[in-house]
Amino acid sequence: MSLAARAAWSRTLLLVFALVMLAATLSAQSAGPASQSSEFVIKNATILTASHGRIEHGSIYVKNGKIAAVGTDVSAPAGVQAVDVNGAFVTPGIIDPHSHMALDDDVNEATSPVVPHMMMKDAFVYTDKEIYRALAGGVTSALLLHGSADMIGGQAVVIKTKFGLSRDQMLFPGAPQSIKFASGENPKRVFGSKGQLPSTRMGNFEVMREAFIQAQEYRREWDEYNAKAQKGDKDAKMPHRDLKLEALADVLRGKLLVQIHIYRADEFLTEIALANEFGYKIRAFHHALEAYKVPDEIAKSGAAIATFSDWWGYKYEAFDAIPWNATMAMRHGVRVAIKSDSDDYIRRLNQEAAKTMRYGGATEDEAIKMITINPAWIIGVDDKTGSIDVGKDADLVLWNSYPLSSYALADKVWIDGQLFFDRSTPGYGMPNYKSDPEEGQ
Amino acid sequence: MKKLICTTLLLSAFTLAQSAPAPKTVVVKGAKLLTVSHGTIENGTIVLSGGKITAVGAAAEVKVPAGAEVMDGKGLTVYPGLIDSETHLGLTEVQADEMTNDLVEASDEIMPHMHVYDGFHAESTLIPVTRYNGITNAIVAPDDKDTLPGQDSFIQLYGANSNAMILGRDVAMPLNFTGAQRRNESFSKAKFPQTRMGMAAQLRQTFIDAQEYVRKGDENNAKAADKREHIKRDLKLEALVPYLKGEKPVVLEANTASEFDAAIALAQEFKLKIVLNHLSHAQQVLDQIAALKVPVIVGPIYDMPKEDERYDSVYKLPAELQKRGVKVLFASYDAHQSRNLPYAAGYAVAFGLPYDEALKAITLYPAEVWGVADKLGSLDVGKQANVVIANGDPLDVKTEVKRVFIGGIDVPMVTKQTILRDQYGGGTK
Repeated sequence: MSLAARAAWSRTLLLVFALVMLAATLSAQSAGPASQSSEFVIKNATILTASHGRIEHGSIYVKNGKIAAVGTDVSAPAGVQAVDVNGAFVTPGIIDPHSHMALDDDVNEATSPVVPHMMMKDAFVYTDKEIYRALAGGVTSALLLHGSADMIGGQAVVIKTKFGLSRDQMLFPGAPQSIKFASGENPKRVFGSKGQLPSTRMGNFEVMREAFIQAQEYRREWDEYNAKAQKGDKDAKMPHRDLKLEALADVLRGKLLVQIHIYRADEFLTEIALANEFGYKIRAFHHALEAYKVPDEIAKSGAAIATFSDWWGYKYEAFDAIPWNATMAMRHGVRVAIKSDSDDYIRRLNQEAAKTMRYGGATEDEAIKMITINPAWIIGVDDKTGSIDVGKDADLVLWNSYPLSSYALADKVWIDGQLFFDRSTPGYGMPNYKSDPEEGQ
Repeated sequence: MKKLICTTLLLSAFTLAQSAPAPKTVVVKGAKLLTVSHGTIENGTIVLSGGKITAVGAAAEVKVPAGAEVMDGKGLTVYPGLIDSETHLGLTEVQADEMTNDLVEASDEIMPHMHVYDGFHAESTLIPVTRYNGITNAIVAPDDKDTLPGQDSFIQLYGANSNAMILGRDVAMPLNFTGAQRRNESFSKAKFPQTRMGMAAQLRQTFIDAQEYVRKGDENNAKAADKREHIKRDLKLEALVPYLKGEKPVVLEANTASEFDAAIALAQEFKLKIVLNHLSHAQQVLDQIAALKVPVIVGPIYDMPKEDERYDSVYKLPAELQKRGVKVLFASYDAHQSRNLPYAAGYAVAFGLPYDEALKAITLYPAEVWGVADKLGSLDVGKQANVVIANGDPLDVKTEVKRVFIGGIDVPMVTKQTILRDQYGGGTK
């Protein structure tokens, strides 16, 4: 069995296992999110679709966890519950393309600058209430990434924030694997302080180049072996499997989405040059606070950016950050997402997106895209979620007021058509919920 | 010679930039005026002249003075400059670069003789960024790593230099009682005070020493002039005197119910006049807090809840306190993100704080608590013209601030960030 086939087989096994677990949980639970009907119609809503603008007085028909219909002429089939929301806003679930929540500080294996074989799913604390708090802010999916201590920190995990379910039920089915690179001040500080390579930006990139040259060798050995084996060559000697180089070879094969932590304009250019030198694609630049200085180069590379709306000045390479960054890059054709990188900000990404309207005059549609379909693309799940379109996962948020404001709160959050958060029911979807003393007063 | 000319030119340009422009007479006609003190005037006119507000009222009733710049206020909202009740503006530039930080003298726990005005960097790039969002005044406090980290200054976010920007020196003293000031948790390296008990004992001893210092001084002063002794000055104890006499407020930081109880007992023991600060996790003692009848600086509202708290427990705290009659103030507790102060107030509205109270929490209430309500905090005739003009609701994220007047001066809407924006072709929006 080739490596690829082996990986596919194990993925299938995992999926089957996940489905069995899901079925078991669904039948075991008598209350809470899983018992909710997954077939319903939300009617008379103001729908911000993220793909085809705003729909006034619209309806969304949810069936089997998917969006079965959306528009102004959708009506509930016989026997299906229709809820009139009186013009309230509905958006796609918010997607955070950069979070470190629920990792219990297991974010950096900072003992070597190149550790691509670290798997975030091995550290994922699926019981962490940070997930519930993000969910309460309308977040339905997130990319949980490594930190930036290492030049290559490891492989991320994509989750749906189905708080209360098991780990495997929270992993986003079919999401591609992302790998995290870093650059700049953090790696050079972490390793420089140990008196190790890298301690400069020059050192940073040398470490990367060295790693990819080894990966090229490794890929060549395996390609040669697989070719021989395929021809039926019984004498072909299987090379030694090295998880670290295997991951890097997968970067070279284009199998992993490359997510890069970066700040400075010059480093964007160096990262793009490095990607071209070794022939891999960069999926997204994260933080990307100086993207506005080199937007054309970023647009040309095809990479997106996942940036803060207005966070700045916390270190020197963040000192030239400006809150117009997102809109300036967007006007040059860069796909832009607003991300949290914070257990706090993830709870109100809608407000962070609204700041792009205040700075730079993003339209409502552009601002909504920055926290839904654009981050979905960065994670590689834009074919499954991120907009309100027929066939997509029913990941939806019902808001109590205009979502791009200081005042909006998520009233209800559905993931795959199931209700996971309901503000009118304290503790809804939260296992072992204990009301606080204020409750009942 | 050429070099000399260049230097002279540069110097004169520098001098020009530094000399503050004179306040002009500006009229905003037909705008929505959020007066804070006497409600909202939907179609109102405001006149700024000689650095003060000289008229506020319905558009039909206010006379436009001759020679004034008249601005069409249609679609605009005018409100008093916002006041951040605790920031680190002027004490830091780049957080990770220690040489740019003057946040706190962490060499000892008891440092009441540190004065923010001695370290305040008036030319900080953070200040224009903050006022760009309509914040015109702030309390600058040292970081809360010490139990008594020094004394606060009340600043104005525009002026020729630090003297002009510091409106009030030593206006209040933070007293941090969160337990975070414990010096070392490991026994092997432990240094006093290692526990909350140690912190409290150290603080109590300090106040007792200061009381004695006051008593000795008073006794000495009561003696006939020729009988007086020389009393050696002790800056640390001297700094505490106005606070022990109840002349100035002590800003008491306690996060949780138990910290609140212990800190209040201590404050009462020494009859301190207090403002409560940073109460994010005190849901169990809301009624006790209200009974004290003291102002409370809440939050930050963005604090994460504790493990056993509801997801919205911190968000709701301002509304819960206000409901019990507490005067609520807001602070950013930050330097770089101080500009987001109005949005924190807006978020409290989402969680039940009445809108008018949220606006007061960043205008009139801080003006009252920090002793400047005769000059700041509302749109009233005679007050200083610290006035903001925006295209909508000040508490909403989308709202764009168009002009900021400080002391009647039309402050240039230029920051390090707008310069970079324009340099890289971001236009003027």
